[in-house]
Amino acid sequence: MSDTPLVPPSSVVLVSGGSRGLGLAIVTDLLDAGVKVAAFARTVTPELAKLAEAYPDRVHVGAVDVTDLPAAQAFLRAAEERLGPVDGLVNNAAVGQDSMHTHTSTADIARIVETNLTAPLHLTRLVVRRMLGGGRRGRIVNVTSICAQRGFPGLVAYSATKGGMDAATRSLARELGGRMLVNAVAPGFFASEMSAVLGSTQLDQIVRRTPTGHLTEPDEVVPVVRMLLREHTNINGQVIVVDGAASV
Amino acid sequence: MNELSRAHIRDLMSQVLANQGRTLPDDDAADLREIGFRSLDFSELALRVEDATGEELNFDAPGLRRIATVGDVLDFLETLQRQ
Ligand SMILES: NC(=O)c1ccc[n+]([C@@H]2O[C@H](COP(=O)([O-])OP(=O)(O)OC[C@H]3O[C@@H](n4cnc5c(N)ncnc54)[C@H](OP(=O)(O)O)[C@@H]3O)[C@@H](O)[C@H]2O)c1
Repeated sequence: MSDTPLVPPSSVVLVSGGSRGLGLAIVTDLLDAGVKVAAFARTVTPELAKLAEAYPDRVHVGAVDVTDLPAAQAFLRAAEERLGPVDGLVNNAAVGQDSMHTHTSTADIARIVETNLTAPLHLTRLVVRRMLGGGRRGRIVNVTSICAQRGFPGLVAYSATKGGMDAATRSLARELGGRMLVNAVAPGFFASEMSAVLGSTQLDQIVRRTPTGHLTEPDEVVPVVRMLLREHTNINGQVIVVDGAASV
Repeated sequence: MNELSRAHIRDLMSQVLANQGRTLPDDDAADLREIGFRSLDFSELALRVEDATGEELNFDAPGLRRIATVGDVLDFLETLQRQ
């Protein structure tokens, strides 16, 4: 047996984009599992505020734009003062896209890349620095997408960012030498504000191509995220697809 | 801004179709599926309009999905030029 100690389950988890959709479901589930959670989004929704009220000792929430690194840094420090050292990170915040690449403005491309790729790389760096500096072990889960592996029209820049995060997941897992477990969860399409732009014909088509016969639900993704943060497994540097075999 | 008239856009649309050996019907109500005008043809047309006006035309796909007839294409591009 090697002398590398195991990475313990995360007990204080930072979730970006925890205000609605999948992020809110992840926050709710982690709280149910007894974990302390720090969650932010640009706007704190009533649902997230309610969770903060219900678990005052275990939740820290705030309005932070993930692309504003100093604000994210201040949020992390405040969260750690309140909840203790962060030993888990879920990079969930992202913006969607539904426009042909040729007709997407360069400003929009820059915004998608900044929010979905640059910002999570910065946030990860920040959290890893604090964990390593504090001599802690921890876990990171990147929420990516099936778009990183399969082509979808209208999602060129978005797919590039998700593919970038899948690649970063593998390299970071290697770089961190087992002191941290770094994985990605790649859901298929699910109903949310992000996918609301998809036409009903497109959604019907995805359902038809899915052997399990339904779009992925956030509740079906959440246990996988929890497992990666909490269970003792040797899964590291992997991208786990949750899409009912739509892409297989 | 250098805005193209509806007739000018129609002319560019017929050029896009003519390149593929097809003709644009006179009727604005003609169904795009029937004349085989697909989303990439729309994209080509938008880029031709851009070329003529010197202004970039950016737009999301949901608006595009509502387009069903020749008249819809002309309406969409006329409105887009004004935005
Ligand atoms: N929906 C799908 O079909 C699907 C499929 C595969 C993967 N995913 C991935 O799953 C994750 C969650 O998606 P979702 O569908 O739950 O999306 P959603 O409902 O749009 O939620 C996105 C979350 O991210 C936050 N966010 C967006 N931009 C932000 C910013 N600049 N700073 C801070 N927070 C920001 C949003 O809050 P604010 O807007 O208030 O900031 C919200 O909390 C994303 O990584 C997405 O790419 C989604």
